[in-house]
Amino acid sequence: MTDVTLVVNGETRTASVPAEATLLSLLRDSFHLMGAKLGCNVGDCGTCTVIVDGTPVNSCLMLAAQADGRSVLTIEGLATRDQLHPIQKAFEEHAALQCGFCGPGVIMSAKALLDANPHPTTREIRDALSGNLCRCTGYTKMIHAIRDAAGAMAGESNDKTA
Amino acid sequence: MRPFEYVAAKDSVHAVALLKKYGSSARILAGGTDLLVELKSAPNGPDVIVDISRAHDLKGIEVTNQGLRIGALTTHSEIMHSPVVRQMFPALVEAAHTIGAVQTRNLGTLGGNLATGVPSMDSGPTLIALDALVTVICDDGVRRIPLEQFFAGPRKTILTPGELLVDVIIPTKNLGKPAAFVKFGLRKGQALALVNVGASLRVDWDRHAFVQVRIALGAVAPTVIRARAAEAYLEGRAIVPDAMAEAGCIAAGETKPISDFRASAGYRRELTAVLTRRALAEACKLAVAKHDGAMPA
Repeated sequence: MTDVTLVVNGETRTASVPAEATLLSLLRDSFHLMGAKLGCNVGDCGTCTVIVDGTPVNSCLMLAAQADGRSVLTIEGLATRDQLHPIQKAFEEHAALQCGFCGPGVIMSAKALLDANPHPTTREIRDALSGNLCRCTGYTKMIHAIRDAAGAMAGESNDKTA
Repeated sequence: MRPFEYVAAKDSVHAVALLKKYGSSARILAGGTDLLVELKSAPNGPDVIVDISRAHDLKGIEVTNQGLRIGALTTHSEIMHSPVVRQMFPALVEAAHTIGAVQTRNLGTLGGNLATGVPSMDSGPTLIALDALVTVICDDGVRRIPLEQFFAGPRKTILTPGELLVDVIIPTKNLGKPAAFVKFGLRKGQALALVNVGASLRVDWDRHAFVQVRIALGAVAPTVIRARAAEAYLEGRAIVPDAMAEAGCIAAGETKPISDFRASAGYRRELTAVLTRRALAEACKLAVAKHDGAMPA
């Protein structure tokens, strides 16, 4: 067993896991954070996307031990008790998700993009989502939602950006 | 995944000590984007995983007196965003950008991409076209060899148990040498190359001719290969579109592609001709831009 201590959504957490446990299984099985999903399990689908030390990664491709001492942000760390994150709000307003299985990963990819690049072009948004597969409705509404969220996060009104 | 013992190396010296201790029972974990996928499906696995992802001396990009040094642990994202790489070698930025997607580029490393040795790797061709060298260390020594000689076959390199790839060096003479990378996959994102091409060249402006041409081809042979006949054809030849097209056809004849579910061997040969021509044209365009002072040399 390997002991790991890391910051998850701002809170220091500790667990003892088998050496072969992935960060995804640490989050889901040890910490019961079920937002990040187990999809393809090989880094193709992106539904396990979380942000580690500021960069989005596939949590299915990182060992839990590799996350020791690092800071992890999951979808559970975005909303507060009474308020959705602006990206979540924009996804809701645009009905950008259907079944929602890809949602946590897509939204974490969008969060990492907007943190690094507050005013992305459509091409940059598409590039940022290229590691997240949606099999329901497609990406157009997501791209619109991310564009709106960028505007909202920059403090601009939607009327002004439209 | 089959259970294994996990040990983390704090730097390269520690890593080779661990590799010596565990020998062939150990596998090296860097970015994990290839290794963890393999371990999840393999019936057998290594007894020990030596995690080098915290070895800080294996990271980073710097210009030294030997050339541009890229640490083996540098991620594809770090290469894409490096100001010095962006200025000297847009082709390396392009190559890094075509690997996987954002999440895998943030994890996957240059050294891992090379050491995994998949014939369709996107890191190899441009670096080989720039005469890159690799540094390999073990417990009792260092060796530096041309990257071209690093590959031994599909998913095989010349690394022996106990050895660690530490960096890639583009020699000083090639810093800023015009180079291009062109890839064709079935999609833009998350797609392996059907064919990829790296090319570098200089222009003899007095004769308006190609010199020092290098062409490297991926996914069309058991390893990344040089198209030496095509290079020789262009050396000293006047820069005209027909010469680049002919070089593409010659390069296609130097390949030994396979047919698989992605593409037939014949299609890969056709692609080689087209992509080689495009890579040469793009490298020429860059050479002209640098010559005209539109870009720093």
